[in-house]
Amino acid sequence: MPLWAILFLILGLGAAAWTAARARARTFAGGPARPHSLPGHHGWYVALWATIPALAFLAVWSNVSAGLVYEQVMASPEAASLPAFDMQRHAILAEARGLATGQVTTAFNPQAHGIAPVYASAMHFWSLIGLAAALLIAFAGGGWAWTRMSPHFRARTRVERLVTALLLLASLIAVLTTAGIVLSLLFESLRFFARVSPFEFLFGASWSPQMAIRADQAGSSGAFGAVPLFWGTIFIGAIIAMAVAIPLGLMSAIYLTQYARPATRRWMKPILEILAGVPTVVYGYFAALTVAPAIRDAGLTFGIPASSESALAAGLVMGIMIIPFVSSMADDSIAAVPQAMRDGSLAMGATTSETIRKVLVPAALPGVVGGVLLAVSRAIGETMIVVMAAGLAANLTANPFESVTTVTTQIVMLLTGDQEFDSPKTLAAFALGLVLFLVTLALNVIALRVVKKYREAYE
Amino acid sequence: MSKRAPTDWNGPVMQRHIRRRYAAERRFRLLGLGAVLLSAGFLAFLLVTIGAKGIGGFSTAFLTGSDATDPVRAGIWGALKGSLLTLMVTIALAFPVGVLSAVYLEEYAPRNRWTDMIEVSINNLAAVPSIIFGLLGLAVFLNFMHLPRSAPLVGGITLALMTMPVIVIAGRNAVKSVPPSIRDAALGIGASKIQVVFHHVLPLALPGILTGTIIGMARALGETAPLLMIGMRAFIATPPGGIGDPATVLPVQIFLWSDEVSHGFVEKTSAAIIVLLVFLLAMNGLAIFLRNKFERRW
Repeated sequence: MPLWAILFLILGLGAAAWTAARARARTFAGGPARPHSLPGHHGWYVALWATIPALAFLAVWSNVSAGLVYEQVMASPEAASLPAFDMQRHAILAEARGLATGQVTTAFNPQAHGIAPVYASAMHFWSLIGLAAALLIAFAGGGWAWTRMSPHFRARTRVERLVTALLLLASLIAVLTTAGIVLSLLFESLRFFARVSPFEFLFGASWSPQMAIRADQAGSSGAFGAVPLFWGTIFIGAIIAMAVAIPLGLMSAIYLTQYARPATRRWMKPILEILAGVPTVVYGYFAALTVAPAIRDAGLTFGIPASSESALAAGLVMGIMIIPFVSSMADDSIAAVPQAMRDGSLAMGATTSETIRKVLVPAALPGVVGGVLLAVSRAIGETMIVVMAAGLAANLTANPFESVTTVTTQIVMLLTGDQEFDSPKTLAAFALGLVLFLVTLALNVIALRVVKKYREAYE
Repeated sequence: MSKRAPTDWNGPVMQRHIRRRYAAERRFRLLGLGAVLLSAGFLAFLLVTIGAKGIGGFSTAFLTGSDATDPVRAGIWGALKGSLLTLMVTIALAFPVGVLSAVYLEEYAPRNRWTDMIEVSINNLAAVPSIIFGLLGLAVFLNFMHLPRSAPLVGGITLALMTMPVIVIAGRNAVKSVPPSIRDAALGIGASKIQVVFHHVLPLALPGILTGTIIGMARALGETAPLLMIGMRAFIATPPGGIGDPATVLPVQIFLWSDEVSHGFVEKTSAAIIVLLVFLLAMNGLAIFLRNKFERRW
């Protein structure tokens, strides 16, 4: 009997327990004592006792049972002929398991056919034990809860205590995820830094991880200097993209908030928001297919040798993607400038544009700067546009027509090959990820602090 | 103290000055309009380019087939099914967890350092680059827990971790906007705190929560980078049968096809992008509809 069938059986038992307990609790109503809890609460109390311990057992059992089956198969006379070498034995056993469950029909290794029946009987035996134990626990739990039912029993308090605990548990998942990210990045990065010195990684100027595949070269070749990656990321994400996004985003926000009629604003703003909703893979495809060749051709007509994977193409498209982000942050901070400042400026005879340039934008500047920092943090973490449109060559160049590579591009390239997981090449991806995580985190913290401080100034 | 002559508004100097200021005003205004039109124009250019390239790629074989090495036989159904399976896993995990955490943080959480930590991590998670979630999925789900590679199960869990903060933030705003008088009324007639939340606050906050959830799911549908990390980039020629089978998803399929040298794949890639955009548009349209139809101003 497969695990999911036992699962449904137990859930069915829970439903039955709920109905039965609720029906029994209804009879309390006519009695001499005023019942403390509603029938539904009694129902839930019994149902939870019937299901939760049994489900917990199943969760443990699903991890343990494979080992028990393995032990029994290994103890059988048929397994004596298996090769002692671990990898070979595991391959044969995996095939036998496939045969036993019917997932595969013919095995590559003839020995697997001999072991398959043993495997099947062992699995059958242990799944019966598991089923029996799960049912026993379900009935025991439900039965115990059933005996506690009485008009005075505070079922509602107990059920609600469990629900509250569940709520707390759900919100802890966010903390667990954060901890998981930090720990996994840190752990793998430490393994990387055990082979390549952090100093070399952070300040080395040469990046060619492919060379380090050979074991004798790992860590000694100087191939893991990430400075060209950091520069490429900053060049594309923080310089070219922002050169596009800041003027366009800021001016759009100014036009939509200060000049456009409300009706125009109502349909223009969502259209700009669509720019942020287009998947990045679409932008990447567009950058690689349309923008990059156009830039190369334009470069050729002006006599500039341009790479077909120029930094300009990726940066331009990324800038377009960031426009709505900058625009909505600027919108918020301009709206937060007190009306009195605007009115005062207009009353002194300044035109609208003078008011905007001399009063509103300077007053909103901290908020705009905060928004730009958030936009930068998003741009440097952006992956697909640069993977598809930027190059792989780790150049240290300030020429936007040449190709540069970024941190995210390299993470994708390092992890999508078929190499073993422990090589410095794959571990380097985690070190890059750690740097990226820390930098985006710092940018966000600073940006939020700037925005918050500025809000307080006007409150 | 010398007597000051009144300003001569009609004098040529002043008139020139005023004209110059008005011209500057018009220029600035046009600059703003230009910025808006340029951004919108780029969007239009992108959509028209992709649309023109992709419209020829549609056929019955394209809509019902799976990936193939030959562009003529390559289809989108396998990737679409992979996307749907992945999103099912994502919503099954992210929605309950997101809603429950939103309720906890808004209705129960005591003001203390522990709660601050939860809030800070949720806000930070919302800003973490998506590729980092891919690294987490690779390190924890594949290498540590040994879940199946390339499977919608792992992709769904990874995307759920990414989507959950979005749902929590939307959910908190929705729960916050339910007026306290509703809670007071329910408490006043003897409901317990849990009954107040689950019988009154949540149903009233549901439209807002659903809007946020759909927007989060739309983002998950368009996400590529984390799924590349966990191996959902294999060549899969048959649609996945379940959440444990190797699969690919729409955006990854677009990425894979964009790398093909064969010219026929340009058309297929653009057509796949159209399919993806249609789904995204439908989801966002549904979110806007829900917001307009059920949003209540108290």
